[in-house]
Amino acid sequence: MDKSRQSLPLAGLKVIEVAQGVAGPHCGRILAAMGADVVKIEPPSGDWSRSIGPFLGEDENIESSATYQYNNSGKKSVLLDLSVPKGISTFTVLVSEADILIEDWDMSSRALNGIEKDRFTKLNSSLIEISLTPFGLSGPYSHFTSTPIIQLALGGYLYLTGLPGKEPLMLPGHQPDYLTGLNGNGAVQIALWERDQTGAGQFVEIAMMETLATLHQFTMEMETYEGFIRNRNGNLWQKESAFANYGITTIECVDGHICFGISTEDQWERLCMMIGKGEFLEDPQYATRSGRRSLATYLDSLLSEWVGERTRHEVMVEASEMWGLPTAPVLGISEVLEDAQFLHRGLFTEINHPISGKAHFPTFPFKTVDMIPDLSRAPLLGEHTSEVIHS
Amino acid sequence: MSAKRENAQGSLAGLRVLDLTRVWAGPLATRIYGDYGANIIKISDPRVPLINPNGLNSKLNRNKKNIGLRLDKTNGRNIFLELTSVSDIIIENFRPRVMRNLNITYETLARINPHIIMCSMPGFGLEGPYSEYPAFGTTAEALAGIPSLIGYDSSLPISTGVAYGDPVSGLNAVGILLTALRHRNITGTGQFIDIALAASPACNLGEFFAANSSNGYKPTINGNKSEHYSPHGAYKTRGEDQWISISITNGKSWKAFTEIIDNTILNAEDYCVFENRKQDEKLIDAHISDWFASKDAEEVMFQLQNRGISAGVVSNNRQLLSDPHLNERDFFVDMNEPLFGVKRYDGQSIRGNFKNKSDWETAEDVGESSKEILMELLGYTSDDCETLEKEGTVLFR
Repeated sequence: MDKSRQSLPLAGLKVIEVAQGVAGPHCGRILAAMGADVVKIEPPSGDWSRSIGPFLGEDENIESSATYQYNNSGKKSVLLDLSVPKGISTFTVLVSEADILIEDWDMSSRALNGIEKDRFTKLNSSLIEISLTPFGLSGPYSHFTSTPIIQLALGGYLYLTGLPGKEPLMLPGHQPDYLTGLNGNGAVQIALWERDQTGAGQFVEIAMMETLATLHQFTMEMETYEGFIRNRNGNLWQKESAFANYGITTIECVDGHICFGISTEDQWERLCMMIGKGEFLEDPQYATRSGRRSLATYLDSLLSEWVGERTRHEVMVEASEMWGLPTAPVLGISEVLEDAQFLHRGLFTEINHPISGKAHFPTFPFKTVDMIPDLSRAPLLGEHTSEVIHS
Repeated sequence: MSAKRENAQGSLAGLRVLDLTRVWAGPLATRIYGDYGANIIKISDPRVPLINPNGLNSKLNRNKKNIGLRLDKTNGRNIFLELTSVSDIIIENFRPRVMRNLNITYETLARINPHIIMCSMPGFGLEGPYSEYPAFGTTAEALAGIPSLIGYDSSLPISTGVAYGDPVSGLNAVGILLTALRHRNITGTGQFIDIALAASPACNLGEFFAANSSNGYKPTINGNKSEHYSPHGAYKTRGEDQWISISITNGKSWKAFTEIIDNTILNAEDYCVFENRKQDEKLIDAHISDWFASKDAEEVMFQLQNRGISAGVVSNNRQLLSDPHLNERDFFVDMNEPLFGVKRYDGQSIRGNFKNKSDWETAEDVGESSKEILMELLGYTSDDCETLEKEGTVLFR
């Protein structure tokens, strides 16, 4: 282990990750980047995320999955067939010496493989076991199968995105998994904090559906406090309720779209001044937030006129610097990679892979000079089997 | 649920956090710490009430003590510095210039308490061309590329309905600050951490960026259609704006699905192959839309799931609150709000040793714990408090 890795805060911690896909591996990626030794257990066919697109390089193969490579950076890959006795006994030895186990066994796979809930925490009392499943280990949905759209639907996210009356739209990629992986990392850090004081490990269960249900700003409060269904409203906010507002909207520019996020009274006042409609501040039609919201179509047309033939960047600079209004261009994927702010921040890093070549991956949203995350390439399938099993 | 609670006070009992955050991302992060028993001191401006009849701040600020404090007054600043000397974490999400104008920088605070972990959560980060620009959860997600991937087609990008920059940043803060505390326990020194609201959603799209940079990959924007599964999307069911989502992941679940809906066209053997279903997706969608139109979303979800088919009700807020699964798992918490009566909120999704729910405290309005914090924690006298109140530095409620 090189010296800079040794100085990272999670150095010395042994993590066994048997979870596949995105949620568990994303959690493990963070632990590995902060210094932990993460051993990824893969079945003979590999983590299922190795088989899904998009792929990197020219060929679609089990080493070139973008999802796999992103979420398994810096780990060791060990092939183990847990469906045979020898596999499970080797796995048990590894877990008995580990600090953290990240698994995704739902009730069906636990029943199938005969893994009772307290099996590993009983065996190793200082073990922190993080269970990441779509619906958790109890309740009427615990046997459900799902993909991201189902998790978004039951977690209350799907209903809120899209045009009114039209099909609700999903968030891209694997958002419920990513959120649950981040929640999993929080759980690991909380449990480690407690273990540092008591020496005791614990079993921590996290369900994707519950993760999403805790990540709503005021969705449920619109019902419990005001009695409104919270609707999807395209790029606007809802007409009804205390959260009605104008100024969260998306406007077309010559080179794409720009998003405005005007939410406070002083921002509304500056918006009126910016579009040359200072008289609105005296007009009773615009006195209330719901009043403004009901005139959104007209206000959008005025804002559009003000935007005129300008680019997204020109609009952002003027609205932000002269008027102090929150705006941002709606960037496409290749534009995000080249955005000046993200480049300045070093948000992306290039990692080379022996099979698929070079690609740019996000680092982390946080920056600190005292803990530099260590990101390296994802392992080949079974690359570290002999190193880990025979050492 | 009979989760074993070995530590009724919560895993983070003993940890002290100074919370200067507003709106959503920051309060969400400190709410998780508070549920886990950390001592959260929320510092609020005495001139702005916190508790409103819209429920937002009540929901986000449970299990936090509130002090109403003017940081722009000399004595207020001194109190803040004294609190810094006895705390582990300081977290704020103002625009960068606010903290600069108050002359509250990490360097100043670290001189008082070298162990302190300070976190700022500005929109775009503390440095770089947009660092001084204001941001909002919805503009943050736009810069990160999220709405460019949502739409019925590529003509109109659609924002998420959840101001996605905020929740992702909040969760990132929870993990990294505790990691920094571990670093502090090993090295003896604190640190400063900058979390950019706009960077967080981008880190949840890693595969898109990697593939684009490698071979120019660009996904097609086409509603809920999928490159892996078909049929895939939300379908209208009986009732006003009621929908069910389904995701047919393989030939086996397609076969089970056709047995349930019993439609001669869909029964064709060819359709057990993904590529064939994908090719006739529009036709297939028209048939299954007809079938779902008269069904009850919840009933048909259980009917499909019992055959191993991925399906889920597209829950609105009312359905979420009455969801049978969440309720059976005792997910929610009912709290008796002094101003609003009993209100139901989302509980804690990390099911570890959080503080017993029966001990959770409702959100305090500005200044409710000013006296307790000044007298019990910092050793101020009643006379001191009176002076501070008179000069308008501290609000006591």
